[in-house]
Amino acid sequence: MTTVDSTTGDRIAADRAASAPPVRPHSAERRWVGQSIRRVEDPKFLRGRGGYIADRITPGTLHAAVLRSPHPHARITGFDVAAAQAAPGVHAVITGAQAAQLCDPMPDFGPDPTRHTWRCLAAEKVRYVGEGVAVVVADSRYLAEDALELIEVGYEPLPAVVDPERALDAGVPLVHEALESNCAYERSFDFGDVDRDFAEADLVIRDRLRWHRSGGQPLETVGAIADYDPGTGGFVIETNTLSFTSYLFMVAAALKVPVNRLDIRPAPAGGSFGSKLFANKPAVIAAMCARATGRKVAYIEDRVDNISNCDHHGSDRLYDVELAVMRDGTMRGIKIDTIDDYGAYIQFGVGHHGNALAQVTGPYTIGSVRYRVRAALTNKNQQGAYRGFGSEVNNWMLEQMVDKAARELDLDPAAIRRKNFIRQFPYYIPTGNVYDSGDYDKVLDKALELADYEHWRAEQKRLREQGRYIGIGLISAQERSVFSATEFWFWFDEPAAPVTSTPESVSLKVDTTGGITAILYSCAFWGNSPETMVAQFVAEEFDCDPYDVAVVYHGSGDGLPATGPGGSRTTVMLAGAVEGAAGKIKAKARRAAAHLLEIDEDDLEWADGGFGVRGDPERRKTLGEIAIMLHLFKHSFPADMTSGLDGSQVYDHPWTTMPSADRKDLGVFYPFMGHACHIPVVEVDIETGAVTFLHYAAVHDCGTLVNPRSLAGHIVGGTAQGIGTALYEEFVYDTDGQLLSSSYLDYLIPTAMEVPELAIGHVETPSPYTPHGVKGGGEGGRMMAPAAINAAVNDALAPLGVRLTELPMTPERILTALRASRKKG
Amino acid sequence: MTAISVTVNGRPHTAQVEPRRLLVDFLREDLGLVGTHIGCEHGVCGTCTVLLDGRSIRSCITLAVQADGAEISTVEGLADGAELHPLQDEFSEKQGLQCGYCTPGMLMRASEILAGNPDPSPAEVREAIASNLCRCTGYQFIVEAVLGAAERMRAEKETAS
Amino acid sequence: MAAGTRGGQHRECALGRSPLKPPPFDYAAPTTLDEAIGLLAEHAGAEARVLAGGQSLIPMMNFRLAKPGYLVDLRRVAGLAGIRREGDTLVIGAMTRMAEVERSPEVAVAAPLVTEAIGLVAHVPVRNSGTVGGSLAHADPAAELPAVVLALDAKLVAAGPGGTRTIPAGEFFTGPYGTALAPEEILTEVRLPVWPGGHAFTEFSRIHANFAVVAVAALVDADGDRIRRASVALAGVGPTPVRAHSAERALLGTSGDAETIRRAAQLAAADLSPAGDLHASAETRLTLAQVYLRRGLELAVSRARNER
Repeated sequence: MTTVDSTTGDRIAADRAASAPPVRPHSAERRWVGQSIRRVEDPKFLRGRGGYIADRITPGTLHAAVLRSPHPHARITGFDVAAAQAAPGVHAVITGAQAAQLCDPMPDFGPDPTRHTWRCLAAEKVRYVGEGVAVVVADSRYLAEDALELIEVGYEPLPAVVDPERALDAGVPLVHEALESNCAYERSFDFGDVDRDFAEADLVIRDRLRWHRSGGQPLETVGAIADYDPGTGGFVIETNTLSFTSYLFMVAAALKVPVNRLDIRPAPAGGSFGSKLFANKPAVIAAMCARATGRKVAYIEDRVDNISNCDHHGSDRLYDVELAVMRDGTMRGIKIDTIDDYGAYIQFGVGHHGNALAQVTGPYTIGSVRYRVRAALTNKNQQGAYRGFGSEVNNWMLEQMVDKAARELDLDPAAIRRKNFIRQFPYYIPTGNVYDSGDYDKVLDKALELADYEHWRAEQKRLREQGRYIGIGLISAQERSVFSATEFWFWFDEPAAPVTSTPESVSLKVDTTGGITAILYSCAFWGNSPETMVAQFVAEEFDCDPYDVAVVYHGSGDGLPATGPGGSRTTVMLAGAVEGAAGKIKAKARRAAAHLLEIDEDDLEWADGGFGVRGDPERRKTLGEIAIMLHLFKHSFPADMTSGLDGSQVYDHPWTTMPSADRKDLGVFYPFMGHACHIPVVEVDIETGAVTFLHYAAVHDCGTLVNPRSLAGHIVGGTAQGIGTALYEEFVYDTDGQLLSSSYLDYLIPTAMEVPELAIGHVETPSPYTPHGVKGGGEGGRMMAPAAINAAVNDALAPLGVRLTELPMTPERILTALRASRKKG
Repeated sequence: MTAISVTVNGRPHTAQVEPRRLLVDFLREDLGLVGTHIGCEHGVCGTCTVLLDGRSIRSCITLAVQADGAEISTVEGLADGAELHPLQDEFSEKQGLQCGYCTPGMLMRASEILAGNPDPSPAEVREAIASNLCRCTGYQFIVEAVLGAAERMRAEKETAS
Repeated sequence: MAAGTRGGQHRECALGRSPLKPPPFDYAAPTTLDEAIGLLAEHAGAEARVLAGGQSLIPMMNFRLAKPGYLVDLRRVAGLAGIRREGDTLVIGAMTRMAEVERSPEVAVAAPLVTEAIGLVAHVPVRNSGTVGGSLAHADPAAELPAVVLALDAKLVAAGPGGTRTIPAGEFFTGPYGTALAPEEILTEVRLPVWPGGHAFTEFSRIHANFAVVAVAALVDADGDRIRRASVALAGVGPTPVRAHSAERALLGTSGDAETIRRAAQLAAADLSPAGDLHASAETRLTLAQVYLRRGLELAVSRARNER
C-alpha cells in the first residue's frame, strides 16, 4: 500500500474513481458473442488464396535484394558497384550513403533518435552482422542476388561490443559515438515505501536471472510492394506490416513525402507475434527503389534477411532481484535491477519495461517496487516486439522469485500464491496501473483440478524412487491487454512527445438490401481473427448471421485512424468501435422507423433485427426495410435526414490516465487485466539435459470470450512459442558478435513433437468496463509458459540442488548446472 | 534453358525454365499457383510442401527440372469446385489454422499421411506432421482436424462401397 | 571468424550476401551411367557435380555455399535404384530413395540397423526425395547413413572414366563433407553385409528429427551367452563418422552385462575429441556420446538376446 496521508490517499482514490469509465451492465444472454463459430477468414486461406504480400506481385514488378554486413561493427570505407550495375537485369544499385540522401532516418520512438540514428541502410558504419549496406533492384530476385555477389564493399572492422554488462563499462567501443555511451537510457523508479518494506521483512530473497533473446519468427517474412507516382509525388505501398495510421507521418518523413501522399495498404500477414508491428524498413526500401527506378518494386525478405535483420528481436535481460517476504509468506516489496540488451538501435525506447510495470507485482498484493532499468546498446539487431512485449519476462522473473521464496520458507507453491492474491477489484498496483477484475483463486483451483495435481505429486514421489526426475511447475501470472501510448514516454520527466492516442476505427455500412459491410482501417490480419471478431460483434448488434457480414480492410489513405493489433488490444478495441458505429446506425434507423411507423421513437425497441413498437410487436420495420427506404426514398423522411445508413466510430483507449509529475504514479495504462495459471509436468533426463512434457494444464481468464475455440488456439500457440523460448529458441551471438543462429538449421523452432497436448480451461471474469466484458488474450500463452516450464524443471532438479536461472534451458545449460552441482556436492 | 513437362493438379504444362529455378518459384510465378508458400528456402520448415507423384516433397529445395514428367499436386487442387476437401473443411471446423501460411503445406502433407494410413492414432498424426512447422496453432487443433478428416474420409469410403 | 554452427559454413556466406536463390548453372539429365560420367569429366573445369535427390546439395546452393557450374542429374539413369539380396550381401542402388529403403521388408530383415537409422533421417518429405547414395556422398559428419555403413563395414561401389572400383566404408569418408570419390566418379551402389544379430541406432537431437548432435550405430552378434562380434560407429563426434574399436574390444567374449557396457562406453568416449558448437560444447558431446553408446549397446544386446 502506498504510504500517503489519509487526505492524499482520499484524493488519489477520488481521482481514480472519477477517471474510471462507467461500470457497464452486461447482458446475460448473448447470441453470437461466446460462440466458437468457424472463422469467417478461413475459406480463402484453405484454398491457397490468402493474398499474402508475395502473392500480390504482378508481372513487370522489379525485385530488390539487400547486401548485408558480415561484420558486427565496422566503418564502411567505400563501394565498387560497377560490376553489379552492369549485371544482367539490374535496374539500380543504391548504397547506404546514397540511401541517406534519398531517405531520412526511420521512425524511432527511442530516447534520443538524433544520437542513435537508424536508417534503412547503414550509411557510414555497420552496427551488427546482417545490417543492410546496399540494395540491388533487378528483374528477378535471382538476378538481384547474382548482382549482390558482384558488389565490393570496403570495411574497416571495429571491435564489437557484445556483452550487455560490458557494454556499460567505461572505455568500451561505442555503438553510436554521438551518444557518448552505450547506455541509451537509465532510470530508477520507486513506488510505495520500498525501504520500510525491506526493513520490516523477515527475509530477503535474492537472485540473478538471465533471459536470452528469441523472436516471433513467423513463417512469412516481412515484405512490401511499392509504387511511386511521379505525377503526385506519392507512394502506394502494399505491405504486411501493421501501420499505426496516425504515426505514418514518421514513415512519410523517412520517404520525404507529405503524409497525404502515402497510402499504405495492408496485406494479410502469415503470422507476426509482434514482429510485423510497424516494421517499416522493407516498405521504405521498396519505396525508395520504386522512386529511383520509376518502376513498381517488391522487396520480400528471405529467411536469413529476417532472422538477422528483422528489427524485432525479443527482450534480452539480466535481472538482479530482491524480494522482501515475511515468514508466513506475505510478500512485502521487490527491488528489480535490470539491464536489457537492446542491440544497435532502440526504436521503441524502453516501452517493453512499461509493459512490465503494468503488472510488475503480478497477481499479488506486493506493496512496493523499486524498478531500475538500463538499456544497453550492443552490436546486435535491435529489439522490437515479441508476444508479451517485455511483460512475459517480468512474469518469469517474479514467479522464479516466488518459487525461491516458497522453497526457503518451506511453503507449498500454491499456498504462497494464495497468501498474496489480490481479491478486491478494481485494484491499483503500486505503479498506478489498475487491474479491472479477476478471480485468481478460481483460476488456480481450476488449474489444479485440470492438472490432476495430487496425482502428479504422487507420481513424482514414486518416480524419484526409481531415479527419475519429474517436476511440476505452478505459476500464476497476469496477461495485460490494451496498451496506452503513455508506457512509451512516462519514462521521461519532460517527454518530447507525450502522445496519448491509440485508437481503432470501424465503419459500418448497411446497404440497400440490409446487408452489412464492416470496414477496418489498417487493422492487420496476422492470425488473430479480426474479421471473425467483427462479424460476431456486428451479428450481436444487429441479429444477423455473422457469415453475412462482409469485412474489408482499407488502407491508410482511406481515412480513419487505427493502431492495429498489439498488446492484445484488437478484440476490445474492435468491440468498442463496432458498438459506437452500430449505435449511430441504430439511432438513425430508430428515427427512420419511428417516422415510417408514425410513432414516437421512445415507443420503439430493437429486437430480432429490427425496430418494433413496444407492446405491439407486429408493427415493426426490419433493418432491411429501413435501409431501402433511407437509401432510395429521401423525400419520405424529414428534410434534415440524409440518404444512406452508415456509421463510423473512432474508438479511443477507454481508460488512460496521465502519470503524475513526480512519476510516483504512472497512471492507468493497461487496465484490462487477464490472468492465467499454467501447470506443466516435465521429466528431465539428467544424463542428456533433455526435457519432455508428461502433462500440461493451462487455465486462462480473459474476461468474456468472443470465440472460445479461437482463444484456445491462441493459448496453445502462445504456449508453443513459450516452449521455444524456454527450451529451444535463441538468437545466439558469439563473443565476436557473429550471429551463429542465422537460419532454421540453428534457430530451433518447436515441432509437433516438442509441444504437448494441452488441457485447457477457461474462466470468465468479465471486465466491468468494456463491451460485453471482453479483455484481450492473444499473448497469454507465451506470457505464462516460460515461467511455468522453468518452474517445472527447477522442481524436477531440486533434489539435486540444481536451479536453472537462465533461458533457454538448453541441454548444454542443464548439463553444465548438473556438473557444477556434482562438483559442489 | 531446359524444357520441362509437368502435370499440375491434373493440368499439363510445358515450359522452358532455367535449371536453377526452384520448383516453388515455378509453381508460384510461372504458373500463378500462389497457394504454395515460401517459409525458409533451405528445406527445414515444410511450408512449401507439395505432392510429387503422390509423395510429399519440399518445393524450395527441389528444382523445377527435377519435376519434369511428374504429377504435382498443390493446395489449389484439393477442393472439388465449391466443395472443400474433408481436410480443408475439418481445418476450418477445428480451427486448425490461424494465419493460414503453413496451411497449404500442412494440408498436402496431411493428405499424404491419410493416403498411407487412413486410420491413424493421435500420436501417429502428431509425429507425422512434425515435418511441417506451424508458428500459430501449437499443432493441437491441426491434429484434431486431421483425425476428424480421417474419420470422415473413412465413412465416405464405406458409404461409397 | 568463429566456426561452430550447424549451418556454420553456411553462415559466413549467407550473412555476407544473404542469398537464398541458387546461382546459375548448366544442367543435363542423361539416361545412361556412361553419359553421366562423361559429362562430369567434360565439365570438370566448371566444377560439375552429381545431382541425386538434392536434399543436401540444393540447400547449400540456395545459400550459395556450393556453386557447381554444371549439374549432372541422375534421375533418368537406369539401373541405379533398387534393393536386392546377393547371398550375405544386401545391395542398395545409390539412387534408391530413402523412403523406399525405409519401407523395404528386405532391408528390415537383412539390415534392420539401416531401417532404424533411416527413420531418423530428417522427415518423410526429405526421405521421399533424398537418396542413399546422395547422403553417403554428401558425408555430413552428423549424418546417420555414414555411421551405418561404417558399422556394417560396407563396401561402396563407384564408377568413373577408368572403370568401377570398390571402396571400403572405412576409407570412404575422408573429412567433413569429403569422400574418397574423385570428381568424375559416381557412387552407384552400397553393398552391406547382412548382420543377423542385435542392432540399435540411437541419436540425440535437440528437435525431433533434426540433425543429430551425437548418433550411435551399434551391432552385436551373440553366440549363446557370449558376444562374438561387435561393431559400433558414431556420428557427430568428429570430422567423419568413427568406429569405437575400444568399445568393441571390451564387449567381445562378454555377456554384454550392464557393467561391461558401461565400461565399454567409457573407453570409447575416452578416444573421442569432438568439437563444440552452439548446440553442444565438446564436453557435452562427450557426455552424450557416452550416454548414447551405453543406451545403444544395451538395446543392441537385448535385441541380440531376444532374437536367439
